[in-house]
Amino acid sequence: MGFPVSLRVDDPDVPADAADAVFAWLRQVDRRFSPFREDSEVSRYGRGELPGGALSADLAEVLALGEEFRRATGGAFDVRLPGRGLDPCAVVKGWSVQRAAELLTGAGLRRFCLNAGGDVAVSGGPWRVGVRHPGHADRLCAVLEVSHGGVATSARYERGDHILDGRTGRPATGLDSLTVVAPTLTEADAVATAAFALGEEGVAWAAAREGCEVFAVLPGGRVLRTPGLPVAA
Amino acid sequence: MKRALPVLVLSAAALVPLWRYEPSTGAASSGAGAAAPAGTPTAAASPGAASTVVAGSTVPTEKGDVQVQVTFEGGRITAVTMLRAPDHPQTADAVPKLVAETLRAQSAAIDTVSGATITSDGYKESLQAALDARGT
Repeated sequence: MGFPVSLRVDDPDVPADAADAVFAWLRQVDRRFSPFREDSEVSRYGRGELPGGALSADLAEVLALGEEFRRATGGAFDVRLPGRGLDPCAVVKGWSVQRAAELLTGAGLRRFCLNAGGDVAVSGGPWRVGVRHPGHADRLCAVLEVSHGGVATSARYERGDHILDGRTGRPATGLDSLTVVAPTLTEADAVATAAFALGEEGVAWAAAREGCEVFAVLPGGRVLRTPGLPVAA
Repeated sequence: MKRALPVLVLSAAALVPLWRYEPSTGAASSGAGAAAPAGTPTAAASPGAASTVVAGSTVPTEKGDVQVQVTFEGGRITAVTMLRAPDHPQTADAVPKLVAETLRAQSAAIDTVSGATITSDGYKESLQAALDARGT
C-alpha cells in the first residue's frame, strides 16, 4: 500500500518481537488485500476466481464491513464501484491497523501510539493527536487528546479527489477534511471515509454514530465539530 | 443522548398529518397502556389528566416511511415516540448538534498526526516524519 508506519511504545518492558509482529501483519495484509496486486486474495475474489467456500474469515469480515457501510450511507460508500474491480482499501486500512494495535495489546503492551499513513490507534494515553490542516502540510487545524481508540482523517489534499461518491460515481467534493475519533480505528476510518463520500450531509451522519466524535472542515474554512470532541487543552 | 434530538426534529414534519388525524373515541387509543384507566395511578399520568396514546398513520416521505406515536394529556402533547423511521443515513440515527467554528492553523506540541493517507514521498516532508526523527 506504500504508506509509512510509525510505532511508539512507552512501556518499560517491550517484548522483542512485538513490533515485528505488527509489521509482519501489515505486510501480510498488503499481500492479501491489495487490489493493486493481481494475485492478492481480494483481486482473485473480485475476478470470481476463489471457489465457493474458500473465502477466508478475514476477507469475509472485510466484505461484511464494506456492506454495512454501503447500506448505512445509502450507497455513497461502496467497495464495488461500477467500472472498477473490488476495492476494499477504505475498510481494510482501519481494520488492519486496529488488528495490529490488538496484537500489541495481546503482547502485553499498555502504552503505545501506532500511526499508519495518517490513521492513528492509541492505547494508555493521554496522547496528543494533531489533525493536519487541509491547506498547509506543516500546520495543524486541531489538537486532540485521546487515551484509547482510533483517529482517522479523510481529506482531499494528498491524493487529490480520490474518494468517490458511490451514488454518482464522481469524486466527493463536499468537504475539505473530516476527522473521526472512535473507540476503534476500524470504526473511525470507515466512518471518516464514508462521511467524506457523503459530503456535507456526512458530518451529521458521522456525528450520529454511537461513540464517534467528528471534526469537519468545509470548503471556505468553516469547521463543524461535535460538542464531545476531545480537544486538547 | 445523541439519539434523542433527531426524533423531535423528524416529528415536527411527521406531526402535520397527525394534527389532522382526529382520534375517534376508543378506536384511536390503541394497544396496551394506551389510556390510563381512571382511578389506577400510574407514574406517568399527571393528577387528574388521563393520558392517551395515539399512533399516527404511516406517512410516506421522500426519505422513507415515517410513523410517530403521540401521548396526549388533556389537550397537550407530552411525548412523541418514533415508531417507524426512514432507513436513510441522514435520519436513521439522528441529527446531532454540531458546533460551528472557524478554521485555524496552529502548531503545538503533539505525539502524532492524523491526516489523509500519505505516500512514502509525502512522508519525508510530513510532520510525522519530524516526530519520528525526534524519537530516534
